[in-house]
Amino acid sequence: MKELDPILHSQLRLAVMSILMNVDEADFLFLKEKTEATAGNLSVQLDKLSSVGYISIEKGFVGKRTRTVCRVTNVGRKAFANYVETLKGYLNI
Amino acid sequence: MEDRRISERESIEIITSMIARTKERYNLGEGNLLLLWGYLTLGVSVLVWVLLSLTHNPAINWLWYLIWIIGGIATPVMARKKAIKKGAKTYTDRIISRLWSVVGYAAILTTVCCLALFFVAGADAWAAMFVFALIVVSLAEMANGIILNENSLVVGGSIGMAAGIFVTCCIAADIALMATWIMPVFIIAFICMMIIPGHIINYKARQIDERA
Repeated sequence: MKELDPILHSQLRLAVMSILMNVDEADFLFLKEKTEATAGNLSVQLDKLSSVGYISIEKGFVGKRTRTVCRVTNVGRKAFANYVETLKGYLNI
Repeated sequence: MEDRRISERESIEIITSMIARTKERYNLGEGNLLLLWGYLTLGVSVLVWVLLSLTHNPAINWLWYLIWIIGGIATPVMARKKAIKKGAKTYTDRIISRLWSVVGYAAILTTVCCLALFFVAGADAWAAMFVFALIVVSLAEMANGIILNENSLVVGGSIGMAAGIFVTCCIAADIALMATWIMPVFIIAFICMMIIPGHIINYKARQIDERA
């Protein structure tokens, strides 16, 4: 059976990708609140997803505060769809 | 939540739980843009009506532009604040935002046409603004309600549409749009189209917030 994508087969990264697949874009605070992850851990996992091209990260400013906005890329969309397909095979769905 | 490997069953649970968490229908303040336009239109309409009754000076009608000026400046600021507060933009948000952008462009075009007719040909086409405000805005509102599955928007939009069709028929039948009846019709239509749905949406959002 095909192996599950190791980048996505992790609790926090899969949670982030599941959220981003459902929205156009989400900022760091939204992702932190929905995943209940720590800021440090979330930041590391976002960088990992970004380094393989699954998400794009845009850093901007709102007043004096930084605002990090994440979006899923087409590569990420395909990877997520493949992951779900493989998962169906494992679970005989 | 941590960075750890998971079982296949856990994967499905994470995906379904995250989809559920991003599926909230309303956020607090979601009705504020409707309230802004509703109260702004109500305020300016009453002001124009009172001043017209007192002075009988048609130049008072230029005050209608206060709606576009104040609304046009406040809307992008409020929309940006709302997006930042919400933290995420959904596909629905994008569709609704584009829908209202189209209404905005149509409003600018209608205003430019009316101004051109007034200054170039000396013709009075301002009744078109009533038709625009009642028919085009209510159409967009109904579409917004259908997208969000929010009945107050669909009902409010339908009332506005009915008022718009009535006004259009009056114009076609050469019936003069007298302030004594067109202003109450316009004001009641905007209360039904904007103010009541805005409060209903904010009430629903507050309930969701209290439950969370």
